Amino acid sequence: MILAVLACLRSEQYGYTLRKTLADRGLDIEEGTLYPLLRRLETQGLLLSEWREAEKRNKRFYRLSMLGEEILEKLLAEWKAIDASLTEIVKG
Amino acid sequence: MPPLDRYLSNLAKLLPADQREDILRELSEDIRSEIEDKESELGRPLTEAEQLEILKRRGNPLQVAAGYTPNQGTFAFGPQIIGPVLFPFYVRVLTFNLGLTFLIVGAVFAALSLAGQPIHFGDLFSSVVLQLFIQLTAVTVIFALVEKHLSRQPHDWSKEDFEKNLKAAIQSRIEKKIQTGPKEVSRFDSMAVLVASSVALLWMQSIWTNQYLIFGPAALLIALAPIWHAVYLPTVFIVLVTIARAAVSIARPDWVLFRDVVSVILDAASLAIVYTLMFAHTWVVPAATAASNSQHIASVVNQWFPYAIFASAIIALVQAIKSLIRLYKNWRWHRSPQDLTR
Repeated sequence: MILAVLACLRSEQYGYTLRKTLADRGLDIEEGTLYPLLRRLETQGLLLSEWREAEKRNKRFYRLSMLGEEILEKLLAEWKAIDASLTEIVKG
Repeated sequence: MPPLDRYLSNLAKLLPADQREDILRELSEDIRSEIEDKESELGRPLTEAEQLEILKRRGNPLQVAAGYTPNQGTFAFGPQIIGPVLFPFYVRVLTFNLGLTFLIVGAVFAALSLAGQPIHFGDLFSSVVLQLFIQLTAVTVIFALVEKHLSRQPHDWSKEDFEKNLKAAIQSRIEKKIQTGPKEVSRFDSMAVLVASSVALLWMQSIWTNQYLIFGPAALLIALAPIWHAVYLPTVFIVLVTIARAAVSIARPDWVLFRDVVSVILDAASLAIVYTLMFAHTWVVPAATAASNSQHIASVVNQWFPYAIFASAIIALVQAIKSLIRLYKNWRWHRSPQDLTR
């Protein structure tokens, strides 16, 4: 889930569009899970956020920080390694 | 009142104060976006039932707030009885009540021991277990009811007031750097006072009919002296006013002066009760059906009682002075907040 959120936020998005993007791609995350997660990731320095007007309303936009990009690369590498191992195991 | 406003108002009371405005703005924006999406999909405004359905799917405010609250534990027996939002206050109230009760039990057994009465471990153990059971049950039931109520009961709220309060809160944050004004009364503190006082009231009612609850096995030998009959009703009245004060503070945390004035009055009344007790000379008497040595035990307990009363008097006096200072500061701030910033 963290990997998906970080990957989606390589391009700036606000919470609602992020949730829709994830849901459209088959990862339906509840708001009660997503927003606290975004806050935690921001506190850890992986995300940056700012309030800005869009569609006549103030929205909080999130994007990946430099540290977030580094962590995302590491997590992706780890994920690919696990995926490769599992694929081998399943193939038998 | 629109369901969304009611929902956010309910949620606001449960969120950590330092992040409240930010979280509410974001969640409000998210829910409004979802409602708008649904409306453009249907080509008509959503009915109240449809809006409620969206809010229901998001979970009750306690569950949502729990996501933003550092988890310090929960109480569950199958289903969750006390969630992470209320749990820290549950522990605080329980610790206070148990501490006070065990102090009394300890004092009674110490007095018995000093009077030469043999102390049996079984008596001490049964007293402690009984108190533990009573306090744990009473506090848990009250907190479980509060949790249930907060999950279900919407509070009256208007969008205009909410926006006004939100702006005022943001403004006060900015001003806080240059001035110190009175803080709102903490809702959770008021809730803790309400629960602790309710338990105290139940306990007071119970000891009247069953003095075993305060004296343990020593209730066969000693009983409360008539002075306690004299101060019983005023004490009950003080506890009832404390409960009413806490209930008002939960509904209107911005009524800081109300809290301060009532606290000063209650502290003065408590001092008057302690003063009455101080000159009573006799606080316990031999029980009606007591053994021959009960007179001796009662006199030993009465010798020690003035120290406890003196300590209570000092605590009550310090509390009264603190309340007076708080009232004076907040009253000055309300009278002319700008003067204090100069």
